[in-house]
Amino acid sequence: MTNLRNVAVVGFAQLPVVARDEHRMSTEMLYPVVRQALAECKVERDDIDYQIAGSVDYMDGRPFGFVAALDVMGSWPARQDLHLEMDAAFCAYYAWVRMQAGECDTAIVVGHGKTSEGEPDRVLNLQLDPYYQAAIGLDPTSTAALQASAYMARTGVTDRDLASIAARNRAAGVRNADNQVRSAASADELMKTPWTVEPLRKGYLPPIGESATCMVLAAEGKARKLCDRPVWIQGVDHRSEMQTLGARDLSRSAGAQLAAQKALAMAGMKSASEADVVELYGATPVEELIVAEALGIEPNAAHPVINPSGGPLCGNPVMSTGLIRMGEIFRQLSGRAGERAVSGARRGIAHAAQGHCLQQNIVWVLGTERRWT
Amino acid sequence: MKRPVAVVGVGQTQHTSRRADVNIAGLVREAVDRALKDAGLDHKDIDAVVIGKAPDMLEGVMQPEQFLAGAVGAHMKPLLRVHTAGSVGASTALTAVTHVASGLYERVLTIAFEKQSEGNAMWALSPNMPFTPPLVAGAGGFFAPYCRAYIARTGCPPHIGPVVAANARANAGRNEYAHLREPMTVEDVMNSPVLWDPIRYLETCPSSDGAIALVISSAEKAKKGPRKPAWVKSGYSYAEAMWVPGRDQVSPSAGRICAKAVYDKAGITDPWNQIDTMEIYVPFAWFEPMWLENLGFCDVGEGWKIVDRGEQKFGARLPVNPSGGVLCTNPIGASGMLRLGEAALQVMGRAGAHQVEGAKTALGHAYGGGAQYFAMWIVSSEV
Amino acid sequence: MNEPPTEGIKYVDSKVYLPYDYVAGDSKVRYLQALKQKRILGSKCSKTGKVFVPPLVNSPESFAPCTELVEVADRGVVTTFCIVNIPVIGRNLEIPYVAASVALDGAAISIFALIQECKPEDVRMGMRVEAVWKPDGERQGDHEDIQYFRPTGEADAPQESYINRL
Repeated sequence: MTNLRNVAVVGFAQLPVVARDEHRMSTEMLYPVVRQALAECKVERDDIDYQIAGSVDYMDGRPFGFVAALDVMGSWPARQDLHLEMDAAFCAYYAWVRMQAGECDTAIVVGHGKTSEGEPDRVLNLQLDPYYQAAIGLDPTSTAALQASAYMARTGVTDRDLASIAARNRAAGVRNADNQVRSAASADELMKTPWTVEPLRKGYLPPIGESATCMVLAAEGKARKLCDRPVWIQGVDHRSEMQTLGARDLSRSAGAQLAAQKALAMAGMKSASEADVVELYGATPVEELIVAEALGIEPNAAHPVINPSGGPLCGNPVMSTGLIRMGEIFRQLSGRAGERAVSGARRGIAHAAQGHCLQQNIVWVLGTERRWT
Repeated sequence: MKRPVAVVGVGQTQHTSRRADVNIAGLVREAVDRALKDAGLDHKDIDAVVIGKAPDMLEGVMQPEQFLAGAVGAHMKPLLRVHTAGSVGASTALTAVTHVASGLYERVLTIAFEKQSEGNAMWALSPNMPFTPPLVAGAGGFFAPYCRAYIARTGCPPHIGPVVAANARANAGRNEYAHLREPMTVEDVMNSPVLWDPIRYLETCPSSDGAIALVISSAEKAKKGPRKPAWVKSGYSYAEAMWVPGRDQVSPSAGRICAKAVYDKAGITDPWNQIDTMEIYVPFAWFEPMWLENLGFCDVGEGWKIVDRGEQKFGARLPVNPSGGVLCTNPIGASGMLRLGEAALQVMGRAGAHQVEGAKTALGHAYGGGAQYFAMWIVSSEV
Repeated sequence: MNEPPTEGIKYVDSKVYLPYDYVAGDSKVRYLQALKQKRILGSKCSKTGKVFVPPLVNSPESFAPCTELVEVADRGVVTTFCIVNIPVIGRNLEIPYVAASVALDGAAISIFALIQECKPEDVRMGMRVEAVWKPDGERQGDHEDIQYFRPTGEADAPQESYINRL
């Protein structure tokens, strides 16, 4: 692998995840996090070369809803800009690609969207092809349940196993002030919650919530000016699978596996278990298990620590939730994780996904050291 | 850009008001298959796919790139979806260019489409924004006041819009893929009903179904291809805030700043003399003189005179939109990439009946939002 | 459904039904409530003092937060406009009608508004207009409290005063 440019995460700000922000529109929620992220890096908006936003019109309930974000991101004078109709974690990827192309040295990556204003089940049904799958009325919980059934049939994992994972996330989530859900719950309690769509119980599913996020990226040469402990991107890759549910082995994530393989290779790591901490996007315990398997890590081992933030179960703001996984690894490796810090963590993996049944996956490998010297 | 990048394949669909013969995947595949064939490549040669399209409400499906992933050969590849309003087709192509320029990818397939006949386009474009009174139907209602302001500022006479529209149709007559191809006279346009004064019906873009795909390649791989590629000399995407006091919506600063960046990088100091042809985003005829000024082809107030002298006609001094442009074909998500792709075809010498003779340097341009998003590139027949 | 279809299915007809319950945002709420009292509020940039109507949480120009709501006049200048001949969904407006950018006195940006009580061909850039409110007791605190703007009959505003507030 030829030498790539070292790029670091130097800042991350998010609003605490809430069920519904009664005081602000989606783009109004974004303004304070952009200001906060820049302030923490002690940098002016004019000194940032590039901006990129992630949001989805349907979540906003407005075609062109993202255009209003320009006004709160400091887009004056005109800025080099892009918007992806994707989770902000993928926006971070493109900002990284631009850095590799030498097109910018600093960037802000934002995610915004209010899940509370629409009905996510109806909205996300529309991600499915309109001829066969959407027409059946599948919503994301149902498709996740299909995947869960397939996984449990293949592996023999039980309801109690799922409950234990959820309980672990709930316990961890107490220590993260940005979470929507901040109360512990035992596996027994969670197993008593009713089925939402069998085999997924209410207690295993994230609540509907919203937030806004802003991440600052900087290339080597600028990174240390913006952050005392930059967290370096050592490897990254993303993959999409085809959507058709019946055409994939839903019990596995071939896409996450390939993305992990490539990202680890770029990072010069033989295995994901060389990482100290992992934040993965598993909206359900089954997704967590599938992704852990794809990454090649033991879900119940002590190392690496999985989802010390509490994971998406405790806060799942659509469009930002993937970027938050990266933000959490940044916090862990830069000494900003407070009570939930994984002691001595030097390498971390952040995973994000979108689309039904983990259709699209991105894997980031991050560390306290630069990869290429 | 870290290394030179080229367009090695272009494929577009037959654009029309309703492609009832294909579903969304079929429409997209028509363009993709043509682009790959044009490049002499197969799906296995493609490293990543970048798709762009405008609001998904236009088709009533959300993030359709997810269900199209298999059809566009993106299974197990990186797939990104861009959405920057009207400019999206162009900013999508530029995103693909950066992927290759970075050195991380050798060949990227980029696609832009819209099958807006499937939904209700008028509704999708003028939604009831909550807490704001609905006042006008359609994008034209938003832009018409700024066309009026241009006319007031420059003394642009009333026949200029009709001349632009009639000329665009004449151009589309030479483009087998265009949607509206029937010739019309300046008088036909002047007699058509006024929709939002000063914009007339025949000065307005149609609603089309269509797709276009490009294959973007590294120089090394491009040189192995069957055709002479179009070299991307520069390309940038800019956006500006909407509610800035005093923002000029007739000649937006984001357009001027983007053009300057694109020209500087490509070594263009005198656009009028150094560019051979251009495909610019003109959805309403009055934008043609407005963009000629915004893009620095002439001084402020002189854009309409270029039209008046006929210097932007096919075969004349500096042909504008030889393909017929957005006025004749407008699948919203695709239009920006159609502009960039048509510019590439020109310098590749492959624009058929609408080939501008000897075109070596061409500008592709698109805009979107409340004239806030701008994306452009300069392509050349030389590396 | 015993016999298989003899003709292939060509079209799938589906209706998309998506209810939304939007949050107006605090500054918008206060703006709408003030309309009930025939007051138009804007937000003031903490750095430049420029006023944005309807209120914004920050100035897009200076990037500084807007920290106060201030009142602007309910009269101003038509900066530009168009005469519309197509009906708009969701509203019963007589065609042709005039949709204009109106820069209210005290505001740094324009609002988009309906102009009535004059012939469309009489509307011009620089024309001074005033709001026509719904009568007392009928105003609800929503955007229809201002029915439209009408010419005041005053002399036109000089071009310099509005040309930068398009």
